[in-house]
Amino acid sequence: MRVVIMGCGRTGSTLASRLDGDGDEVAIIDLDEAMRRRLPAGFHGRFVTGSGVTPAVLEAAGIAEAEAFVALTASDGANIVAARSAREVYRVPRVIARTYDPVRAPVYSELGIAAIGVVQTTVNRVVHVLRHVTLEPHQTFGNGDTMLVRSAIPDYLAGRRAAEFAVPGEIAVVELTRSGHSRIPDASSVLAAGDELSFIVAAGSLGRLRSFLDGRWS
Amino acid sequence: MRVLVVGDTEVAVQVALGLRRIGAEVTVVDADGRRAGGLGAAGPPVVVGDPLVPSVLERAGALRADVVACCAATDEENLVVSLLAKRRFGVRRVIASVNEPANQSLFDDRWGVDQMVSPASALIALISREEPGAGQPPAAR
Repeated sequence: MRVVIMGCGRTGSTLASRLDGDGDEVAIIDLDEAMRRRLPAGFHGRFVTGSGVTPAVLEAAGIAEAEAFVALTASDGANIVAARSAREVYRVPRVIARTYDPVRAPVYSELGIAAIGVVQTTVNRVVHVLRHVTLEPHQTFGNGDTMLVRSAIPDYLAGRRAAEFAVPGEIAVVELTRSGHSRIPDASSVLAAGDELSFIVAAGSLGRLRSFLDGRWS
Repeated sequence: MRVLVVGDTEVAVQVALGLRRIGAEVTVVDADGRRAGGLGAAGPPVVVGDPLVPSVLERAGALRADVVACCAATDEENLVVSLLAKRRFGVRRVIASVNEPANQSLFDDRWGVDQMVSPASALIALISREEPGAGQPPAAR
């Protein structure tokens, strides 16, 4: 695949090196000639000095024949302009741009540019990891068709009813431990921060229970 | 006439002051507010904010503006603001200043620009026309 990358910073140079290693034909653009040093010694691709905003620079990088264009500079404005030119003037089939500022993201989608919001993506990933709950079965039944699992309740689920976890035929809430005391919850039991719950879960529904605990109620 | 002047450049300041002097209702959008001081206490109102964010332009009155003048320090800002002004806010007349002559070909209706001004190109054309041996001026657009 012929790929033009704009921005030879950490992400751009790493992506260029990776695609080059995969056998793709890479051209990378940067304003600063010195950024060339970020590319690995055996890099087969081309380095073009200039701004990807400037049509002549995009053309020198081979934009007219490119199958993909990736805009990764620190300037959202430059990324937007270059990505839109790549898409609308040079008809590059795949155009991806990075955006730093989440409030600018709607501008990209309005212009039909696939934008990856690095801040938003990182925040989402961190929140996911923070909230992600590992579920280890304490006991399995039959051929592992159902199992008993226990999990501490994430704080943000406090105030919800234990019965909300129940899915007929998939998930049953069978026990609640609060401050060292265990009891069997009923339909009206409300969760508090620090509670632990025991569930009987069908093997195929473990992922569903995990997403409930991760905050993705569907 | 309501004019929105976008940019944190000396040109933006002078355009804002000059238009105000001839009676236009001017608002300036300045990304970091540094230039606002140059407008003086009696100067036009300044909206401090990122002009690439539609809500900032809206706060500055883009929906009511007759003219948007893009005088930012980079061509990418001028192009994105021009496009937002034309497409999103339906501004009748969008005028943009070109910083780099190599980007001049971008400044047309594809980016929502009705008219453009390219000081560097104009200077180059002037000088090359009057100095023997300076070569041909770039093709006028």
